[in-house]
Amino acid sequence: MKRKTKSRGAAVTLAGLLSLTLLLSACGSSGNGASGGSGNASTAGSGASGQSESPLELSIMAILLTPTAPADDNKIKQAIEKAVNAKMKINWVSGNNYTDKLNVALASGDIPDLTYIDDPFSSVFRNAVSQGAFWDLTPYIKDYPNLSSKISETAWNLTKMADGKNYGVPRPRPSEADPFFIIRKDWLDKLGLQVPTTTDELYNVMKAFAEKDPDGNGKNDTIPLTAYINPSDMGPLGQVEQSFTGVNGKWKLQDGKLVYSALLPETRQALEYLAKAYKEKLIPEDVASMKLTQSKDLFDSGKAGIIVDKAGTMSDHYNTLKTVDPNFKQTDFYPVTSINGYNPKGAGFAGMMAIPKSVPEDKMKRILKMMDTWMNEDVFDIQQYGFEGTDYKVENGQKVIDTDQLQKDGGPSFNQIVYVADPYASSTKVYFPAEVNDLYKKIQDDRAKSSVADISIGLYSATAVQELPEIDKKVQDMKTKIILGREPITAWDSFVNDLKNDPNMAKMSEEMTAAYEQRSAGQ
Amino acid sequence: MPAHEPRAGAVPRAWSPGGETSRLRRLALDLKRDRYLYVLALPGLVFFLLFKFVPMWGIVISFQNYSPFAGIGGSPWVGLDNFRRFFENPDFMMLFRNTMGINLLSLVCFFPLPIVLSLLLNEVRSLFYKRAVQTIVYMPHFLSWVIISGLTFIIFAKGDGLVNNMLEAAGAGRVDVLTNPNLFWIMLTIQSIWKECGWGTILFLAAMASIDPQVYEAARIDGASRLRQMRHITLPAIRSVIVVLLILRLGHMMDVGFEQVFLMYNGAVSEVAEVFDTYVYRVGIQQGQFSYSTAAGLFKSVVGLVLVVIANRIAKKMGEEGIY
Repeated sequence: MKRKTKSRGAAVTLAGLLSLTLLLSACGSSGNGASGGSGNASTAGSGASGQSESPLELSIMAILLTPTAPADDNKIKQAIEKAVNAKMKINWVSGNNYTDKLNVALASGDIPDLTYIDDPFSSVFRNAVSQGAFWDLTPYIKDYPNLSSKISETAWNLTKMADGKNYGVPRPRPSEADPFFIIRKDWLDKLGLQVPTTTDELYNVMKAFAEKDPDGNGKNDTIPLTAYINPSDMGPLGQVEQSFTGVNGKWKLQDGKLVYSALLPETRQALEYLAKAYKEKLIPEDVASMKLTQSKDLFDSGKAGIIVDKAGTMSDHYNTLKTVDPNFKQTDFYPVTSINGYNPKGAGFAGMMAIPKSVPEDKMKRILKMMDTWMNEDVFDIQQYGFEGTDYKVENGQKVIDTDQLQKDGGPSFNQIVYVADPYASSTKVYFPAEVNDLYKKIQDDRAKSSVADISIGLYSATAVQELPEIDKKVQDMKTKIILGREPITAWDSFVNDLKNDPNMAKMSEEMTAAYEQRSAGQ
Repeated sequence: MPAHEPRAGAVPRAWSPGGETSRLRRLALDLKRDRYLYVLALPGLVFFLLFKFVPMWGIVISFQNYSPFAGIGGSPWVGLDNFRRFFENPDFMMLFRNTMGINLLSLVCFFPLPIVLSLLLNEVRSLFYKRAVQTIVYMPHFLSWVIISGLTFIIFAKGDGLVNNMLEAAGAGRVDVLTNPNLFWIMLTIQSIWKECGWGTILFLAAMASIDPQVYEAARIDGASRLRQMRHITLPAIRSVIVVLLILRLGHMMDVGFEQVFLMYNGAVSEVAEVFDTYVYRVGIQQGQFSYSTAAGLFKSVVGLVLVVIANRIAKKMGEEGIY
């Protein structure tokens, strides 16, 4: 009898403990997200010299493009915090699924104080703005000299929402030297070929790369152009298509109207060209099932001769390639100026940083102030160069960066929060040799003469927001099939015919044209 | 605990005159007598309430035009509009066909395999060999789909894949596997078999372990061969496990492992690869149409529930225990 009571007592205690744990864990998970601030503000504040205000505490959601996130006690982070008098709680979200995470955050309404919006024109963000979830920053920007001068007028203009107001600080990026064809100059030289300037010349180069054994191993095993196709877009092959259409993005201005680019006869030509290239093995046989890294590996292992990328990524490719091919020089990573007189021009920004309405006005102003101070040269240099002795050395009055160390210390990751754009940043780097920078600078200047911008950025069409993603996907499915030779080109013709007769298509075109005219009139 | 069961079960229905009050009184008596057992069950109940039932409240957004900032309370109600839009969508039939196709193929080809494998393992005499095989066939279960899709690419890629390189060396042409709509369902099924077949044997082997060895002994004395023993002892003994698993499996007829399909998906196979799960993800999370995708998800779950109920009925009719 006694033994029995004891076991009963134990059962009750156990049950109680279990339910308590459950409750606690449930509360814990919901409580964590809501309270953004951290408790130990006093330790960080002591270092700030000459600042009477206590450090600004804020939570940040930023994109992470490197494998590992800077730790919370990262040296560079602490130095920036000290300089801008803030205590940042940064949630680094991997670039692989940033959109998903952001959409979930927006859906839950639990938005960090400073949030990176990767696509300011997505329906989810537009919705959030129209519901009044974010601060309208338009009236405040002029008070912050760096924000208004170091971020281009175009970037501010293009990131305006449908009501003509700015709901975020655009992250400035250089607008020239967007990803385009990069070709192995050593292979061209070996076969006595010129850098291509038209799609026909590009075809000839690819054909020669495939058949004339440019890597000299005695086998025809080279893949001229490495690429992959995404389920929803053309991936790098988009540059081939756009070289034909001369259009950056999905909309072409034709006779005063915006036309969806898949409907253009040039798109059909591009598909025929690519289908031929696929058949002749000028692009990878697995182009439809490959992913970005697999396609990059083909180039970096010396199996492919052309890749679509920014010139500024040279050292990534070079470091791997030179282990396979010791004769490969840095200047052999050679950017093509233009094809058919086309090369893409960037928008001048990459997403923006927005502040939710849950942040009080005073704090919102302090966040803007923080970003403004951060853009000062002396503060921005912290993430740009790191610390003397560990991340860079001064040689002949020039800072020479140890890129691996700086990468390890997380410096470049902070560019994802605040950045000051150098117009040549997409092609030249401080750590490239002077001859490489000179070459890339010259090519970029040449490219700037013919670069084409995406005119549809920031244009709002309610129908497009709702219908275009599905149409885009269907179009891409059809394109993929035609490139792989699964469907004849006549299938494309009837597909395009149906698309032309889709009432939504006409409606989108009208709305986009109206939005475009409205913007042109306003400027 | 076993001491309580006969008592609770021994109370015959006809014994009480069946009035509401007496039923309630009996419930109160039961509760009082078994209070410690109920207390023990409490954490489980709390768990299900907190993590399974409370979030289910969210499905009301499928009847709304949900906007995250207005919240559930502030979003306008639209009745069945989302469902109507879903069923009228020309893609609906394609999604339905693909989901059912992939699942039927897996039901026919994949479901019986763990049973066969566990029967084979059960007959293995060398204990060491049996354990070694078990460990090896369990292993793939612990690999993530990301790794498996990467392996599949390395093995079956048309350009530089292992199989195709061998085929070419042997003089045969290269075969396109990854972007071939005709092979896509088969490829998914084979991947599932490779990954989960060994893991699926666990329950069957456990059921077989509980068979009394004396039964086998008696059969052997009566001169039953190994095959006969398998047919008349082992299989009947695990029949109820098979039925339970089959019912549960039917409940998942509308699910296709999301990660697997998503990772193997590409534009060339879209018309056979798009299933409800990928559609809900694409439209809901990526395009932010929360209400519409919830409606699609809800439809999927309701069908699954109906299938479980029907399968359970049938199982009971056939004299099996079922799952509830």
